[in-house]
Amino acid sequence: MSISSFTILNQLTQSLQRTMDEYAKLNSQLASGKRIEKPSDDVIGMTKAIDYTVSISENEQFKRNIDEVNFNLEYTSTAMNSVSDSLLKLKELLSNAGNAQSQENMSFYAQQAGEWRDYLLSLSNSMVGNRYIFSGFNTDQKSFVYNPVTSHFDYQGDSGEINVSLDKGAEIPMNIQGSKAYSFSLIGLAPTELSDGTPVNYTQSTDPATGTTTITVEIGNAGDPDHDIFTLSNTMDLAHIMSCAYEYKNIDGSDLNADAAVNEEMALHRLSALSKPLDDAYTQALNVQAEIGTRQVGINDQTTRLDKNNLNLENALSKTEDADMDNTITELLKVQTALQVLRESASLILSESLLDFLK
Amino acid sequence: LSLSGLFNIGKSALFASQTALSVIGHNIANVNTPSFSRQEAVLSSATSTTIRNGLLGGGVIVSDIKRDYDSFIQSQLLGQYQNYGRSSSLNETFSQIEQIFNEAGDMGLAIPLMDYFNAWHDVSTNPEGQAQRTVLLQKASALVLNAKQMEQGILDNLRNTNGEISDIVERVNSIASKIAELNVKIVQTQGSSLSSVNANDLRDQRDSLLNDLANLVEFTSYENKDGSVTVSVGMRNLVSEDNTNTLSTRTNENGDKDLYLDGVSITSQIQRGQLGGLISVRDHVESNSLKGLRKLVASITKEINILHTAGYGLDGTTGNDFFNPLQISLRDFSPGADITASITNLSQVTLNEYSVTFDSLNNYHVINNDTGVEVTSGAYVSGNPITFDGIQITITGAITSADSFSISPLTDAIKNFGVAVSDYQKIAAAGSDITLPGDNTIALSIAQLSDNTIADLGNSTFMSFYSGLVSDVGSMNKAASDSLKFDNNLLSEMNNMRESISGVSLDEEATNLIRFQRLFEAGARLITVTDELLQTILKL
Repeated sequence: MSISSFTILNQLTQSLQRTMDEYAKLNSQLASGKRIEKPSDDVIGMTKAIDYTVSISENEQFKRNIDEVNFNLEYTSTAMNSVSDSLLKLKELLSNAGNAQSQENMSFYAQQAGEWRDYLLSLSNSMVGNRYIFSGFNTDQKSFVYNPVTSHFDYQGDSGEINVSLDKGAEIPMNIQGSKAYSFSLIGLAPTELSDGTPVNYTQSTDPATGTTTITVEIGNAGDPDHDIFTLSNTMDLAHIMSCAYEYKNIDGSDLNADAAVNEEMALHRLSALSKPLDDAYTQALNVQAEIGTRQVGINDQTTRLDKNNLNLENALSKTEDADMDNTITELLKVQTALQVLRESASLILSESLLDFLK
Repeated sequence: LSLSGLFNIGKSALFASQTALSVIGHNIANVNTPSFSRQEAVLSSATSTTIRNGLLGGGVIVSDIKRDYDSFIQSQLLGQYQNYGRSSSLNETFSQIEQIFNEAGDMGLAIPLMDYFNAWHDVSTNPEGQAQRTVLLQKASALVLNAKQMEQGILDNLRNTNGEISDIVERVNSIASKIAELNVKIVQTQGSSLSSVNANDLRDQRDSLLNDLANLVEFTSYENKDGSVTVSVGMRNLVSEDNTNTLSTRTNENGDKDLYLDGVSITSQIQRGQLGGLISVRDHVESNSLKGLRKLVASITKEINILHTAGYGLDGTTGNDFFNPLQISLRDFSPGADITASITNLSQVTLNEYSVTFDSLNNYHVINNDTGVEVTSGAYVSGNPITFDGIQITITGAITSADSFSISPLTDAIKNFGVAVSDYQKIAAAGSDITLPGDNTIALSIAQLSDNTIADLGNSTFMSFYSGLVSDVGSMNKAASDSLKFDNNLLSEMNNMRESISGVSLDEEATNLIRFQRLFEAGARLITVTDELLQTILKL
């Protein structure tokens, strides 16, 4: 194959172009620190990089969600601790009141029970930010309010569980509904008679819409002068009945019976009958605390898992799209040397011509 | 035999060497001229005369000036120029489209899409929060903006591609007319006689023009007996002898430029050359990248609106679209009839495109273009609604079997894409009809939509569908740049082969320069000697 002047020039230009191309590419990799600068640099790598970036951001979002859940549960847990403490105090009060007491003692107990009732009410209306945490979905309404018509405490929330994503396909409720924390149902067999032998009958019904359970207590037999029926649907009701009973009053402040002796007997019967519901309210509060604890353990595990997962993903992302600096710099030096050699040889070859030797 | 014969031999040597030196000079002067073929003076001995004892030579003559040329290599070179032209325009256009989808450069839709769904997560943890809702509206606007920018980028690119097609067509026409002019000159120069005159330089010029043309458009060419060349593009003559047909463009119903030659559409026959490359990249981008992006946006609009309209805002309103509702765009290929369309059941809409055709029995047929399946048909009655796949169309007026309509929920999906909710209170996070600010059921469902597979997107998630679009553009560009490299190498290899035959080597020319200098000197010496011989005779 004969070589023309153009062939040599052409080959030199092409070699220079190729080397410069390589040089520019390595240079821009060094500048950006990235091995993949556009999808065509590595199509599979790019797809992976998108996957990793999306997963990392998603995990970050799940962690933010967890923070939010944790904050709410922490707050709920503190409130529930106080609820169970209050119920314990009410239990102490009730066991003391079992002995015959003086008039002053009784009114002191009445005042104490009233204070615990108010405290429980304020706990049930705890707020985080501008939301009532025990109101289910109805977060702009107080969880419980006193209804002066019925003299009961009404639940204004619903059974809504505010679920939050912790991971793909994994959800956890971030709230405890008031109907669960403050309302309760009877556990196991209820006693059929009080300590003095008076028959007692507990019945309960649950409202499916709100999840609150209403317990009806019937003391004595129908037709008896001391026959008594009352209802309670939450711990505030319970404390309210207690407080009133210590003063020998019904919940609306009226006397239970016109006859003073019967009135006192009925009030004492009420106090005695409250013992079972109070025990169960306490158990319910402890159960709720246990549930919160379980949820917290779960989300702590999940946080650790997400952190580990993100670390792995970030490593994988870096491996996929970041340039290996040592490698890139070595390559760059190699190309630089090649470029230098090419230029030198080019200047030698191009300056040679037979015409220089013609006289 | 006379001394004047000697003079003549000397003279022929002088003439021959002068001619050869001129040819060498021509070669040296054209050392850098592209497509120039090295020329060579062909020397042969002059006719001999018969003398008593035999034949006596009559000196030298230049029998021909030929060019070093291999027509086989030239025709291969033409083919390779066509490949190279295709690869270079594929590479150029795809690397521009790639930038629109460049996730590595923080462009594209992945991050805004992710941010949007994350904002829904934040609303789900704080359904009553104004701040979270306001952020959601901002992220939604960012998503809309990015999608619109990407579509605009692709549309701009397609417009430029169509513009470039027109420019190249102009250049093809100008080259074609130059080739026709050269055809005339070559025929004139070579004459109709059987003389061996070769229009070397004109032919080189014509080869150079053919190379340029091959870079632009796919064609076949052959040389006629009289030396003119016929060039045909898409089975139609572009140049034949001194005639040219004008290559022209017409805008079709998609807004794309079709190529017409001699009144016939030849678009589908142009595969190679820059024109072939541009046409194929345009078709690919339209049917994959652009349609895919529109489908993704249409799907996001559809899925989010279905969930959102079922939910309730903080103000208790329901049935609100989050994004502007999906619209059906129609194209009317009927002079006598009109069509209107609406969506009757959003969840049944398939995000496929349909066409309506009519047969000679006055029946309509609705065909799903993506699956090829006929979805419904029946007797055409003007004004009667036709319902299929959640879409209802109404055609009024007179139809013929030549009429058709096309129906697409995708065409305007990005154009109409926008956040319909302006009041943060109307963001429907709640799933129940009583005003419950803490209800996050719908917000949670929408947030979790990002992990769900979507039937309309071939059972992939929004994100994996999008990353499919990115990898499609990436691998197209990778393939284009690989084949550009390959075609470039092959082209320069072929050019080297051509050069090894037709190229000028200055060293070779310098050697020949000395050779013919010596011939000239010797010829002159011969004349001097003959002159001395004559003097000798005259002195007798």
